[in-house]
Amino acid sequence: MTSLPYPYTIRVDAEDKVRGKPIYAADDNRPGLLHAALAVSTIAKGRITDIDTQAASAVHGVRLVLTHKTMGAAKSAGFIMGGGYGFQSLQPMLSPAIAYRGQPIALVAAETLEQAVESAHLVRARYAEEPFGVSLDAPGVEVVHQADTPLKNFIPEIASGDADQALSKAPVKIDAVFKAPPQHQNPMELIASVAEWRGNKLTVHEGTQNAEAVRHGVATALGIAPEQVEVISPYLGGGFGQKNSLQMQTLLAAVAARETGRPVKLVVPRATLFHAASFRPESRHHIRLGAERTGKMLAAIHEVDAQTSRHDLFPGEYTATSSRLYGFGSFRGVERLVRTDVQTPGYMRAPFEHPACFAMECCVDELAYSLGQDPVALRLANDTDTDVATGLPFSSRYLAECLKRGAELFGWTRRSMAPRSMRAKDGSAIGWGVAVGAYPGLTTPAVAHLKADEDGCVVISIGGHEMGQGIRTSLANTVSRKLGVLPEKVRAVIGDTRAAPQHLTAGSWGTASAIPAAEDAADAMLMALAEMSPAGIADRTPAEILKAAGRRTLEVEVQRKPPGQPDEILGRLRAGLPSVAGPVYRSHVTFSYIAHFVEVVIEPGTRRIRVPRVVSVADCGRVISPRTAASQVRGGVVWGIGAALRESSEVDPRYGGFLNADLADYVLPVNADIGSIDVEFIDKPDPVFNRSGVKGLGEVAMTGVAPAIANAVFHATGRRLRDLPVRIDHLL
Amino acid sequence: MTADEQAADQAARGESERVDVTLTVNGETRSLAIDPRTSLLDLLREHLALTGAKKGCDHGQCGACTVHLDGRRIVSCLMPAVQTDGRAVKTIEALASPNGELHPMQRAFIDHDALQCGYCTPGQIMAAVACVDEGHAGSTEEIREYMSGNICRCGAYVGVVSAIQDAAAKMRRT
Ligand code: FES
Ligand code: FES
Repeated sequence: MTSLPYPYTIRVDAEDKVRGKPIYAADDNRPGLLHAALAVSTIAKGRITDIDTQAASAVHGVRLVLTHKTMGAAKSAGFIMGGGYGFQSLQPMLSPAIAYRGQPIALVAAETLEQAVESAHLVRARYAEEPFGVSLDAPGVEVVHQADTPLKNFIPEIASGDADQALSKAPVKIDAVFKAPPQHQNPMELIASVAEWRGNKLTVHEGTQNAEAVRHGVATALGIAPEQVEVISPYLGGGFGQKNSLQMQTLLAAVAARETGRPVKLVVPRATLFHAASFRPESRHHIRLGAERTGKMLAAIHEVDAQTSRHDLFPGEYTATSSRLYGFGSFRGVERLVRTDVQTPGYMRAPFEHPACFAMECCVDELAYSLGQDPVALRLANDTDTDVATGLPFSSRYLAECLKRGAELFGWTRRSMAPRSMRAKDGSAIGWGVAVGAYPGLTTPAVAHLKADEDGCVVISIGGHEMGQGIRTSLANTVSRKLGVLPEKVRAVIGDTRAAPQHLTAGSWGTASAIPAAEDAADAMLMALAEMSPAGIADRTPAEILKAAGRRTLEVEVQRKPPGQPDEILGRLRAGLPSVAGPVYRSHVTFSYIAHFVEVVIEPGTRRIRVPRVVSVADCGRVISPRTAASQVRGGVVWGIGAALRESSEVDPRYGGFLNADLADYVLPVNADIGSIDVEFIDKPDPVFNRSGVKGLGEVAMTGVAPAIANAVFHATGRRLRDLPVRIDHLL
Repeated sequence: MTADEQAADQAARGESERVDVTLTVNGETRSLAIDPRTSLLDLLREHLALTGAKKGCDHGQCGACTVHLDGRRIVSCLMPAVQTDGRAVKTIEALASPNGELHPMQRAFIDHDALQCGYCTPGQIMAAVACVDEGHAGSTEEIREYMSGNICRCGAYVGVVSAIQDAAAKMRRT
């Protein structure tokens, strides 16, 4: 049912979390556990010529030292975007080759953590070094046009009309280059695996967004059947894309557990994580935007250079979103990948959409000022119901409503247009900025198993991972409404390969994939209940019907696939492979939207930039869990503030690797950086997209925040700052 | 000898040194023989199975490991366990009353949805209780400042501030 707003249900797992219950992988304390630690490469590229583990092995309590020489038969599980399961195709410790600084070269397992750490420090390697490059402009990097690679088959270039000709004729033009730095996801939970063998069966406890890929990936790497592996991941301490495939440490922990005959816990330290998992690649955006003097946009050309590794092509999908922001008369997108000597970059919240919206939305603000038009009015005038890239209609698009409602809540009409025209009493410069964001509407297949019992409990087992976005609460709200039971009576079993196939949870498709499947399952249950109850089921709970029929439990299972997808996609789901459809469907295109309004205050002496208030209005279709959804948006805004003003992973061209590899030097927003964040939803269902009317939210929340801040900084100072993050020194 | 060689030499000579430590944890006296390098955080998590305090950085940079030591908040990853000998530690596991009733701060974190993934939450709550006890919850600005040692990557800061304001009023009344 898509017609009614959902209730403001309390987050169903909040109580366990405030009590500090042991729900995360590293909380595992099973008896006999060995602790593991890693030694990592101190060169940026080359090969190990000699590795000495004698001193490491001699440390008291050490049970095992693993290196590439002692790993035994194992292979790479492949790259997730290349038909495999890993965040990159390179599995460390399978050969002496070193592809990047910080690559693990040895694992130690010991009775205590202290012994393991000491031992890992004593591993000594000698290397033959090779030249390397770690940034877009480094000598020796290789530039690849994505359109010349097999990636073009599933990520087509965006081209509509003759953008070059339209641009050349446009009376008003904006031409600018924007830069976004590498960044690291840094969820608060460290990546951790606990691996245990019972006979020839392996159990992995790990916080992951993709339990099925961990399962099939480890099985592939070890050369065993996936049936021999189970992966249990009920909760993550944040994911943000970092944990969306097989990480490098799972196989190492599994091998160590097999070799020692003991369960092994490997918690990857924060500093190591900057090189042990993926990151947001550095990207550069050249945008040319042409318009009539009235403001009508005639053409946009968006060219992107984005970093990848030497060993994998991490696809760029930046222009897939920038092209959907407005009714551009014509559009041309170009994606180039730059091979550098790093671990393969990957997905970090709004991976492409944040930088793409930053670049395009700053340009649109520049256009508004060059035309002397209000930035909100210019955006509204260029809104569209039709997708420029395909000519198809959008299934729903309430972006204009987001802008209008946001402007009203923020008090936008009180803004004076001229830069440097608003001041606080203490002399601080005030800037008000606006920008929009969008994110593709994606869907995956799902299998949902529903079980009701006579005591009133309902258990839904389904693919999905709880990383804080609130999927458990969304499932509880959905099943509760359909079956007429209280949300607290609904238990969700997710992140568990024993319960149901676990598709990767990312790309904001979790709710739009799981909720319709949960509704299908609930319908199947209602039908089954009706069959066993000739008296009808109206106003009766499943427990009442079951009791009346003398049944203790009732179970149903359904499977659901995205519209227009072949049945094979369910096979991919069960094989742990990404099986994602959208945003282009046969008859429509789906995106989520958001508008952000931001106030910045720039202190007169220090030029410190503060963000005292943000208003965000989102169109994510029907909001299934209003309380957790609002938190999601506020979190996305905090991410946007971090991206705009703080976060950058610094590289050293002389040594490779990332320099600021800890939480003191990789500067994240803290409480004192955040002011008020007011969130509203349009909350209109998109019934064309799916039966529940729900679109994605987690990522669109972040898109558009950074350009709103940059545009506000322009309003406060008259300075256009096009490199992220915007820093005090840019304003001095 | 370099430091590494010394360590290797020491290790090669056999069992690493053990130290006796006796402390009160959540009202209970605990005596253990531990590796002197053990942090209070690892003592709690790996030796006492009190895993509420979390490891987010192990460097005193994130606050996920915040507990109370003799009534004051500390980051337990920076506290050598041996230094807590004879002292009293309180963790999130003992914040609710013995009958299970939640502390007003825990209740307020639920009511204001001051959490998402929950990983930073035990540290936030222990810091928040101390923030109120210290008298640093007088205004939103003050709360934000005194809660800035606790990073929440999910970005639940707005909820954290309102939860603390809400709980502070109730804590003062009790
Ligand atoms: S784990 Fe102690 S401050 Fe981060
Ligand atoms: S709730 Fe996830 S880090 Fe704070």
